[in-house]
Amino acid sequence: MSGFQIVNGLAGLLIVTSLLVIIARRPTRSAMFYALQSLVLVGVFVTLAGTVGSHELYAWAATSFVTKVVLVPVMMVRMFGRLDDPKLGSGERISPAVSVLLAAVVVVLCFAVVSGVALPAVAAIKPALAVSLAHFFLGLAAIVTQRNILKQVFGYCLMENGSHLTLALLAAKAPELVEVGIATDAVFAVVIMAVLATQIHRTFGTLDADQLTTLKG
Amino acid sequence: MVSSILPLLLLAVPLAAAVAVAVAPSGPTSSKFVEIVHVASISAVGVLALLVVGRTMAGDDVTALGNWLYVDPLAAIFVSLIGIVGFLTGLYALGYVRHEVAHGELTPAKHKIFYGFFNLFVFTMLLAVTSNNIVMMWVAVEATTLGSAFLVGLYGKRSSLEAAWKYVIICTVGVAFGLYGTILTFSNGAEVLAAPGGAIYWTTLAANAKLLDPTLVKIAFVFVLIGFGTKAGLFPMHAWLPDAHSEAPSPVSALLSGVLLKCALFVIIRYHVITMQAVGPEFSQSLLLTLGFLSVAVSAFLVYVQHDLKRKLAYHSVEHLGLIVLGLGIGGPLGIGAALLHAINHSFCKALLFCGSGNVLIKYGTRDLKSVKGLLRVAPVSGLLMMAGALALAGFPPFNIFVSEFLIFSAGVQEGHWGLMIVTALLFTITVAALIHIVSGSVLGKAPDTMVKGDVGPSMLVPMAGLLVLVLVMGVAVPQPVSRLIQQATAVVIGGDRTVPLAAPWQHPAPVAEIVAPARAEPRS
Repeated sequence: MSGFQIVNGLAGLLIVTSLLVIIARRPTRSAMFYALQSLVLVGVFVTLAGTVGSHELYAWAATSFVTKVVLVPVMMVRMFGRLDDPKLGSGERISPAVSVLLAAVVVVLCFAVVSGVALPAVAAIKPALAVSLAHFFLGLAAIVTQRNILKQVFGYCLMENGSHLTLALLAAKAPELVEVGIATDAVFAVVIMAVLATQIHRTFGTLDADQLTTLKG
Repeated sequence: MVSSILPLLLLAVPLAAAVAVAVAPSGPTSSKFVEIVHVASISAVGVLALLVVGRTMAGDDVTALGNWLYVDPLAAIFVSLIGIVGFLTGLYALGYVRHEVAHGELTPAKHKIFYGFFNLFVFTMLLAVTSNNIVMMWVAVEATTLGSAFLVGLYGKRSSLEAAWKYVIICTVGVAFGLYGTILTFSNGAEVLAAPGGAIYWTTLAANAKLLDPTLVKIAFVFVLIGFGTKAGLFPMHAWLPDAHSEAPSPVSALLSGVLLKCALFVIIRYHVITMQAVGPEFSQSLLLTLGFLSVAVSAFLVYVQHDLKRKLAYHSVEHLGLIVLGLGIGGPLGIGAALLHAINHSFCKALLFCGSGNVLIKYGTRDLKSVKGLLRVAPVSGLLMMAGALALAGFPPFNIFVSEFLIFSAGVQEGHWGLMIVTALLFTITVAALIHIVSGSVLGKAPDTMVKGDVGPSMLVPMAGLLVLVLVMGVAVPQPVSRLIQQATAVVIGGDRTVPLAAPWQHPAPVAEIVAPARAEPRS
């Protein structure tokens, strides 16, 4: 099996893990699935690095491992674990079954879009490219379909993982500093969202986005 | 291009100030220290910004950190906005925050948080407009959201936390689109350039734009427009803007509306340049024209129905950003120049009005225009400043908004968009009515009997007077140096041979400046 085939296979796994992140009932559980997904992403980076011979990608895989597999999930488990809103329940606007169906539609659409790209460099990794795009939109869908504000944070994380994968696929030799900048921003974004969510939980006594309705018009 | 330490200093000062404030011990003695650090920082930023701009206007594009930082005349416009408006609103903040702490609206701990994040916010905006590295540009724009989120939620009330949450979620998601656009542009460049590393620099991409894959350039521009358009508050991605602008402390509202929106706009202009070079002007111009017009059309009605002063002003920002984007979409030397001039003018005018809304809040304790009556009697100087600001924003001469609005409409007519310009002008009459309503109802009118007369302190009125002076100076005539800077910036956008000097309708236009085509890296293929 060639490296590119492994990349494509792992990319498929990314969709599965992101569905797990979205449909997990507790945010702390989502955080663990997010760590798992990031581990798959690191796997993609390493495979890709070996296949195309990119030193930069190895460095990316290392930073991603530190930030996305360890740092961010640990912070999420610690900060989200203290916040609970029993009244909210799962906080899904649509049932898990519909979520899966929706994800399938998104993936199919993204395959259709990517099949139009004519760059020779991406011929072998088109499925992975389609997955990275789908991942981006799955994250967006997660934000729209979840009422639990903590789950919305995961939506952002999925979007970020999606764009990260696109970057790796299309520009494997980007300087490491690029990736460090993106990763740092992602870490800070999650920290700030978690702090705000904690303040909201303290002030409103809820994590339900539909209860944030003071401001209108 | 010359390498200079100035951009580095410009960035280092507010960052160092933010760190100094953050590590300062809390307590009454340190609050004096915090204020001194803050004033020193915003003054230094103001001076350094003008020095960098002066250097750029003399004909040298300034670089630093290798190629990572780059200030050309286009960036210089935005650097000077951050420097000037940051300085004046930063001064205004001194009196405002002291009042809020004294009246228990903010805890003393929040005093420190405010100044720390204020300086961090200024730093992130400066980084966004001085970046040549497109990924760092994205990182900086994302950082502006993260740096200002706590400022928006500073009061810790239900409404401010809600606003902060919406701000962070909508803007990070929006800006994630910007990241996708950035990545597509970078990968596109890395594919076709002989030295793939160069694809990270805007200067290299702009110089080699003709080599880029046209389809990818178009897709990337759409992503960039959605992403940074969210941050610029363009319809339909503007949902965060009225909440964040109205809930933030007034000096921060002034900075958000006056400067932050323009920083996002600046990034859009950078990509607009690449897109025009790569696939011709029609594609990005028609998108800008559509989005700009929709923003004007929708916000005109939203402005009218609002009774909350700060939300009304916030929707005005959507409208005027829409008009700026419309000007960019009209294109041509006059369209681009007028749009850039309007960005400057709107910045001064809106900062003045948002500071004024702070005075209203301090005097009346509410932003509800139904309860705010007779400001001119209660606080005469604030009343006059608000009245001048409102008339300026409505587009009356001799204030600055009139000049740039007039020039944008002339550009539209010149390029043959007659129908569009007539509809836009009609839409603007709606907002004129809304602003007259502020003046007649809230500035004039009979003050409630219970109201204690007496204005806010001079520490808040003097910076506002400074903003009004700028509004008037830019309104009476477009000053020569500003006109020249805008011509040079227009040359960056559409090439050096097609710029026109900008002037108020009654002003003799300045002689056409000799514009050298922007010195970019030589095409490498």
